[in-house]
Amino acid sequence: MTSKLGLVFFPAFDWAISPTHPERQERLLYTRDQIVEEGILDLPSIKEYKPRLAEYADINRVHIGIPNIASLITDAHLVSAGGAIAAADAVLNREVGRAFALVRPPGHHAMRVVHGTRGFCTINIEAIMVEYMRRHYGLNRVAIVDTDVHHGDGTQDIFYHDPDTLFISFHQDGRTLYPGSGFVEEMGSPNAFGTTVNIPLPPGTSDEGFHEVLDHLVLPFIDDFKPDIIINSAGQDNHYSDPLANMAITAQGYANLAKKLKADIAVLEGGYSIEDALPYVNVGIILAMAGLDFKNVIEPDIAKRPRQSSSTAKYISQLVREWQDIWRNRERLKQQEKSKTGEFWQRKRNIYYDDSGLNESQIETVRICNECAGYITIATEAEGYSFGAKSAFVGVIPRNSCPHCSAAVRDAVLAAKRIGNYQNYFLQDKVQDIFEKI
Amino acid sequence: MLPLPLKRVSEMLLGIDVGGTFTDAVIIKNSSIIKHTKKPTTHGRLLDCIVTALDDVLADINSEVITRVALSTTIATNAIIENNIDKVGLMVIPGPGADLSCLFPVKPVCLSGYTDHRGREVSAVSDGEIGEAFRSLSKQGCEIFAISGKFAVRSPRQELQVAEIINKQTNAKFITLGSSLTGGLNFWRRTNSAYFNSAIWRCFNNFAQAVELALKQRNVFAPVFILKADGGTIPLEVAKKFPVETIFTGPAASVLGIMAMTLPEVPTVSLDIGGTTTDISLWNSGVPLFERKGIKIADYPTSIRAFRIKSIGVGGDSYVRWENGKLEIGPNRLGPAMALGGSSPTVTDALIVAGAIQFGDKKQAQVAMGQIAGSEMNVLEASNLVISCAVSKIHNAIITMVKELDLEPVYCVDDIVSSEQFKPRLIIGIGGAASGLVPYLANIMDLPYQIPCFAPVVNAVGAAIAKPTLEVNFRADTEQGVYTVAELGIKENIPSRRFGMSEAYNMTSKYLYRRAEQAGISVDETEIVHQEEFNLVRGFSTVGQILTCHMQIKPGVLTAISEMAEVNYDK
Repeated sequence: MTSKLGLVFFPAFDWAISPTHPERQERLLYTRDQIVEEGILDLPSIKEYKPRLAEYADINRVHIGIPNIASLITDAHLVSAGGAIAAADAVLNREVGRAFALVRPPGHHAMRVVHGTRGFCTINIEAIMVEYMRRHYGLNRVAIVDTDVHHGDGTQDIFYHDPDTLFISFHQDGRTLYPGSGFVEEMGSPNAFGTTVNIPLPPGTSDEGFHEVLDHLVLPFIDDFKPDIIINSAGQDNHYSDPLANMAITAQGYANLAKKLKADIAVLEGGYSIEDALPYVNVGIILAMAGLDFKNVIEPDIAKRPRQSSSTAKYISQLVREWQDIWRNRERLKQQEKSKTGEFWQRKRNIYYDDSGLNESQIETVRICNECAGYITIATEAEGYSFGAKSAFVGVIPRNSCPHCSAAVRDAVLAAKRIGNYQNYFLQDKVQDIFEKI
Repeated sequence: MLPLPLKRVSEMLLGIDVGGTFTDAVIIKNSSIIKHTKKPTTHGRLLDCIVTALDDVLADINSEVITRVALSTTIATNAIIENNIDKVGLMVIPGPGADLSCLFPVKPVCLSGYTDHRGREVSAVSDGEIGEAFRSLSKQGCEIFAISGKFAVRSPRQELQVAEIINKQTNAKFITLGSSLTGGLNFWRRTNSAYFNSAIWRCFNNFAQAVELALKQRNVFAPVFILKADGGTIPLEVAKKFPVETIFTGPAASVLGIMAMTLPEVPTVSLDIGGTTTDISLWNSGVPLFERKGIKIADYPTSIRAFRIKSIGVGGDSYVRWENGKLEIGPNRLGPAMALGGSSPTVTDALIVAGAIQFGDKKQAQVAMGQIAGSEMNVLEASNLVISCAVSKIHNAIITMVKELDLEPVYCVDDIVSSEQFKPRLIIGIGGAASGLVPYLANIMDLPYQIPCFAPVVNAVGAAIAKPTLEVNFRADTEQGVYTVAELGIKENIPSRRFGMSEAYNMTSKYLYRRAEQAGISVDETEIVHQEEFNLVRGFSTVGQILTCHMQIKPGVLTAISEMAEVNYDK
């Protein structure tokens, strides 16, 4: 097994959400400068890869775009999802030991149903990569560790009912930051209870607090879960200089995290301190993942880093203890959740798409099944200034669906269509890998 | 016949190519080769073979009418291979980042100080520290230095500061600055380039002076140019300061030779099939493709630009034998073909038996193929097997090269969405075994081919007619109000309030002309190698732009050579 790092670097120098948006052409310019100037792309332990274009089938395996995915995305999204896929191919074909998809646009706020763009994300590039690996390489158990400062609500949403995906997000507390979710209580629907782990951290958390959570929660949880592969949603906005958040992590903190986590694949997410953080954080992560020395990767303005307060340290230690308790009891809690739910688990939500300026209201229903992960139906409706209203009723057949769930979800979609309250009807069949407009 | 769009010049050009085996010289007048010669290369005493070739080619010519001399030599390459190099005091300003100090050819002295990616000095270099570093390196016997700073191409000031202090010392003979060699990013490569430039400086300069003297003694007073790996030439005076640029020029000379004899307008594969190796290059729109990064010297990556050339161990003299039930070809050469008096079977023997080429002793070629045939097949079948094996090796290398080109990273969405795969539509073959092998290759690839004439001295032709080239990298940061031209060591304030891409372009052009004038070369045609334009947005408003423009004097040939080969479609 090679210990090489595959680097899919794609700064999308010709793509922006809008000219002055944080997701603009300039975002990875200084990162490119730093990486190229360091010469690390020429090191024998690092191999640069070119992204490919993701196919619509890769996206439809994960998302349901309303009215269709093609009308909601740009070529840049196909390239960044294709970049994550290229990273996965490089690792799973054993050309490299690990890979880092340093690509944009990001994806971890994109949920299963897509009406538009929220939190700079339209399609979830990690989720697309994960399902691609399951389909083409037969992987089953996947651990995703989201180290972006914002809660990875999109990734959480997509895997919320999947007991084979451990999703761990540690982020700045949702009471103080977009998207306002990611609390400890969000632990997965009953069939997958305990495979969603949220660790909301107080503003001002520094490397010490970050690594306490990593050492005492994240790493042991992953060990217990025994994943086939570890994915890192490598957002970099926990950095002390990030303009959109309030944390105090350094490039060393991120690089040490990459070293300990030993992710098979990392995928860039957010990070908007484009000059003061990204060049150093990215070089740190690259060197750490390639098994190279990164001790000299230190921000020139390191003196500006705030110190973690003792109350923050105390809060984090308390949170760690609470989570250790929950984790120990997760099987019992899961059974409790299942037994207090009837045949169907349901949640009603409003989802705001800040970039597209639209509101979605959604009713999601999961069948509690002892044979499989249970089928899902989603009734969704969105209202926005530009298009009025659009709606859909969606059925999802999970990967290892039992015959009963497979048949029942199709019936549910057909029944909804007969009533005809929605504009679109879709069936996403993950067993046969078919996406159907009904 | 392809059209000949290149102008004919009334000049008398002398070209010399010092190759691994032979040293060739040609004289070109009015687009034709009026004289050429081939002499064995005298390793260890390169001047000897140059002088012998010169005397031969200049015999019965009034050497005063020579208007230009151009030289392609292995002197720089040999200096490194033979370790005929100087001890170099390497000083680097690495700042924060990856620790590369073990990856340079020698252990560097690391100075504190840092310039960031925008060329801003984050922390200063201390004069005391520089002095101390100099004293410690001098104590170790260093008289020649190389200085390289991270992001020095964004502001050469710290490198210049170090150089200024060292220059005051009497025992400092020569200094190379990393940023003076290229304006491109890549600290590791620049540092390696700077090191090698200093390491071969003395050896190259001794050689250059000897060549100048030899030419003067023969009444050749024309300006002397030297070939670079990127296919351009620079005046010998300039090369004395940048000797590392003259490394690895043999393949470049051969590519230029092709350029002189034919102008492939379609995507093309060119092959220089010699005795032991085949050099493959790819062409688009009549221009050979460049390596994305620089070449490696003694396994160290450098910033020295070069044509994209893949060399494989298959040639006319490649040793052919069975090994473990498998027919093997090359990469060794044991001697000439048996048809030419050698003692082991070669690809050339197979080509002779198959009737693809006519020379040498056909009976001996048949003996050679008899050894390959054994009792399994007849000699003709054996020769066909050898040829198809050699051809498929070349074919596979071409496929790999095209695939590598296709996998080259790009950084814009549009480059991925609208990228077209390179699909060759023509093969051009030169070199001793080209006329034999290329028709077979063309047949497999289902492509037309050309075998231009004057192939035997093509490298010398290439050197003779290579245009002078130079480049500059201009970068303006309008938020800071400064611009840099690394190659010229310039960092100055932007003159006007309104400064956009067209102003950047004009400034780049101005500095390219200035650099050319300093080097004593005329500018014929320029081209933009790469340009970038980024808006700097801080707090949701645009505060400036970063504009970069990499411009060069377009490489090419001074004149076409009128003797052309026909295009063969007889597949």
